[in-house]
Amino acid sequence: MRKLLDFLVNRRHWFLFLLLEIISFAFIYRSSVYQRNILLSTANIITGSVVSISGTMQSYFYLRQENRDLLVRNGELEMELLQLRGKLNEMTADTVTFTGYHNETPASQGQFDFVTAKVVNNSVARISNYITINKGAKDGIGTHMGVVSDKGVVGIVSKVSDHYSVVIPVLNPKFKLSGKVIGSSHFGSLSWDARSPRFANLSELPRHVEFAEGDTIVTSGYSAAFPEGIVVGTISSFKKQSDDNFYTLEVELSTDFHALNNVRVIKNNDQTEQLNLEREAREND
Amino acid sequence: MINNVLKGFIYFIVLVLIQVWILNNIHFFRIAIPFLYIYFILKLPAGISRTSLLLLSFLIGIVIDIFSNTPGLHASACTFAGFCRQPLIHLFVGRDVIPDLPPSYRMFGVGGFINYTLAIVILHHTVLYLVESFTLFDPVFLVLRIVGSVLLTTLLICTIEAFNLDTQKSGEK
Repeated sequence: MRKLLDFLVNRRHWFLFLLLEIISFAFIYRSSVYQRNILLSTANIITGSVVSISGTMQSYFYLRQENRDLLVRNGELEMELLQLRGKLNEMTADTVTFTGYHNETPASQGQFDFVTAKVVNNSVARISNYITINKGAKDGIGTHMGVVSDKGVVGIVSKVSDHYSVVIPVLNPKFKLSGKVIGSSHFGSLSWDARSPRFANLSELPRHVEFAEGDTIVTSGYSAAFPEGIVVGTISSFKKQSDDNFYTLEVELSTDFHALNNVRVIKNNDQTEQLNLEREAREND
Repeated sequence: MINNVLKGFIYFIVLVLIQVWILNNIHFFRIAIPFLYIYFILKLPAGISRTSLLLLSFLIGIVIDIFSNTPGLHASACTFAGFCRQPLIHLFVGRDVIPDLPPSYRMFGVGGFINYTLAIVILHHTVLYLVESFTLFDPVFLVLRIVGSVLLTTLLICTIEAFNLDTQKSGEK
């Protein structure tokens, strides 16, 4: 008996080792996408402020590029404004306004709203990449909200604290998005294969959809996070899936995840309503 | 003793900050990331008890995890590396080491220290990448990433060790 006890005491580091490994693996397996412990992530206030220091330093490296992109975008929007204004003038000239009409329903708030945020932490080289942004629950951000850059889709908010949020970007195997070739209405599922931060795959696209290399892929609007028509990227190559009924497209992502600096979080005012309705429908089924 | 604790604390803070602020953003050819922070595990005093070694390894792993949004990943790899440290020291250097001093070139010999570093780095990185790739299996890419990161980390640690004034001083004592 004494020998056995001695043996166990001498080998106590074995038990400690097993215990610590079990704790680690419990963390790994319990951390499913949407329910993670805020304490163990960059979304908590202490770690958030530490990583934001390096984020702030890095943001200076990309200022020139950022500035140029913004100028280009600005120019595009100005052109669009001019065109729309022209159209509006035409329309007003064409329309006879009937002033006796009273609109009973007040103009409703638009369905989508934007919150701009700054990226404070970002990775592209891991298999599971994450982005931390400097806006949180206090700015009206909630989980499941879509995040876009000025060029296209970035990801979906997964965790929110008061002042920071963690975003699951396209560059993470847990990220799934339904997308379609612009102009068609058949959708496929977009996912990332961890090979290159510039490319992702759009799979399960029906074979009869017509497209060409270089066509634009946009969001389908079937998820509550993104409105329809947000640019994801362009088709760079494609192949048939082994069962021969679907295409898999390689999509060159339009967002440059290496130089991500400012992003916009999309607030869908009807999102909770849609999600609740969908859940209810599933439960009643 | 107090000196050792203070030194370990400074190593811990500095290495975590370097890892989080700089090295986590480095990725050579998209395959190799240097994980310099295990230098902390390598430099704990040679005679440290195996339980405190395990606890400290787990601690630095979980802190790195918190900063990289990967709960448990680095913690499991570090715990494993910490668990294997003492048998590796016995294997490469023998049992007669000065218990209060941290491992260094002077104490282990240049070859001994490099072997010791390489072995722990290989164990740590293999566990790390294997666990990370549970979700996504791609053997060639996996091996490439492990080999790339092992070379990078070992090179970095051996270089830093050569310029580490702290261990050169303590070796002369």
